[in-house]
Amino acid sequence: MRLSPKVLLIDPVRMLPSLLLPLGGVLVAGGFSARSFLFAAMGVAGSIVFAVIRWATFTYTIVGDRLELTRAFVSRSVRTIPLERIRGVDVSTPPLHRLFGLAVVKLDTGAGGDKQEGELNGVTVEEAERLRAILLARRPSPPRATSEAYNGTAAGVPGPTGPAAGVPAGAAGIPGGVPAGVSGEHYFIRVPRSWLRYGPLSGAYLLTPFALVAGAVGLLFQWGDEFGISGKAAWAIGEWLWDHPQYLIAGVIVLVLAMPLAGGIMYAVFNWDFTLKARDGYLVAERGLINRRAVSLERSRIRGYELAESPPERVAKLVRLWAVVTGLGDSETRGQLLPVAPKADALAIAADAIAPFGPNAGSTHTNAVGLRPHPPQARRRRLFRAIFPWLLVAAVAAVLGWGVVVAVALALALLGIPLGLDRYRSLGHGYDGARFSVRSGSLRRTQAVVERRALVGWTFKQTWFQRSSGLLTVIAGVGAGSGGYSALDTGERQGVEFAAEVTPEWLTQFITHP
Amino acid sequence: MTLWFLEGVMGLLFMVGGAALLSLWVGSWSWLPDWLTARPWLLPVAVAAVLLPPVIIEPPLRYAVHRWELSGDIVYARSGWLSREWVFVPVGRIQTVDKTQGWFERLLGLATVEIRTASYAGSSSIKGLDYEIAARLAEDLSHRAQQLRDDAT
Repeated sequence: MRLSPKVLLIDPVRMLPSLLLPLGGVLVAGGFSARSFLFAAMGVAGSIVFAVIRWATFTYTIVGDRLELTRAFVSRSVRTIPLERIRGVDVSTPPLHRLFGLAVVKLDTGAGGDKQEGELNGVTVEEAERLRAILLARRPSPPRATSEAYNGTAAGVPGPTGPAAGVPAGAAGIPGGVPAGVSGEHYFIRVPRSWLRYGPLSGAYLLTPFALVAGAVGLLFQWGDEFGISGKAAWAIGEWLWDHPQYLIAGVIVLVLAMPLAGGIMYAVFNWDFTLKARDGYLVAERGLINRRAVSLERSRIRGYELAESPPERVAKLVRLWAVVTGLGDSETRGQLLPVAPKADALAIAADAIAPFGPNAGSTHTNAVGLRPHPPQARRRRLFRAIFPWLLVAAVAAVLGWGVVVAVALALALLGIPLGLDRYRSLGHGYDGARFSVRSGSLRRTQAVVERRALVGWTFKQTWFQRSSGLLTVIAGVGAGSGGYSALDTGERQGVEFAAEVTPEWLTQFITHP
Repeated sequence: MTLWFLEGVMGLLFMVGGAALLSLWVGSWSWLPDWLTARPWLLPVAVAAVLLPPVIIEPPLRYAVHRWELSGDIVYARSGWLSREWVFVPVGRIQTVDKTQGWFERLLGLATVEIRTASYAGSSSIKGLDYEIAARLAEDLSHRAQQLRDDAT
């Protein structure tokens, strides 16, 4: 099958920005003569022909249990992706694509690296839906036995996936619509619009106005010549601004005031109508106003979740939620399960969609359930690390006689006291029999809850300073998410016992050694 | 132990050599105090003085700390000298086992076994094993890993 021919309408537009400069160059160099226009036209025509050929030579087919992407433009290449290797499907519709009813389908194969992924840029939305249904209807290897087994093993969590939806083993791979009977859609949440007001707190897009201005200035400099603004004129403007600092300051104030507003808008655009639902053993997160994006994560590969909060979010009891998935590329954006959301709801959803953590799982205010605090030496160490560098800077600056630097460094050192105390308060680890959890950080406090079976090993680390205060950092190696989750500064015995508690069969035989 | 000593000595020589080269150049810098430009050889000597003690102390410490053990299908490796690191990896989670030999190691008939898992945090390397032992360990590990393989990750 080919991509939708409508891509041809999009492709040239997409290539336009990159073409504009050389074309402009040709025109300018040729002095806008007839011949230079001819060359420019040839360039445009060439790019269109190129797009057509590329479209005509790129095909994708589902053969048996493989997806084959064939490119035969100059060199011929066939990429074969076994369907069972596809771990997630990411459907997004950038604005232009949306205009023409197209979508981009990205296949996450867990191979790592962007180049290893399959991408179908420009299929119709219906086709994208159909592909997703086919690609995701497949189960990893053994499963084709019975549909019951399929639902049991794949969904992992009984209940929410609905009744056994019989997917005929042969149905997948045959073109022709979404297999009937694949029901079991279950909405965990449709994020209410009112939650968008939490956006500015997230701090994610706060710098947008500055980025916009910087971009505009850059563009101006780059293309200034073509707009008849020479560098000299720009310089003159700069000097004039410098002479009239009130305008400059006013501009900066406007930008700063625009920060929360722009941040809120950007946030709303990206997270518009966020929905999280389960569909046949997959979690599907959809979001976006202009570029609508739907990410499907295979539920049986989800190993846990991660919560992150910044101080303002903590005050407002908000939290962000990610899934920890094995072999997921770009997990920061793809693994996101919720936008900024009230903590109680987020925990409830995490417990519902993935699994609860803690002995009294199910209750929604499980703030720090089951997390054990770390020994007091850890507090000393946190404090020391938050304060000492600034004190050092202050001392050096004092020796050199830089008064301002001394003041700033001392102020930062003072700030370090509550910071260090808070960082200590954040530290914690726990294990509830199936999942372990570690938490750390203050400015970005993260708590990870990961299944025991995702563990691939333990690493204990002890620096010289930690050794003298009897502390130990335990790093749980996990073949998912960011790879390792560490419990900072546990007590020596405590840390080892924590690891031994989670995986007694690995450690008990060594326990006397360290 | 000899390996680390050799590596340390090589590192030392490299640094001192670099410092010596620098000192040739330093003679022409005007912003340095006169007593320094007059005696450019001070620099390599200073570098050597700073670096030599660790080079002498490090290998025995490392040798005392570094241990490895394979028992009950768990690989346990301890490394470090001032900071220490213990790594426990169950054989079933090992993805690849590499056996490498740098040229110092070849000189001394040693080898390094690198164990990789799906996560960087669970990966470790056991340095400076006798070549035969390393070869056997690598072989055993990859065999065992094949048998025990479970696809949790």
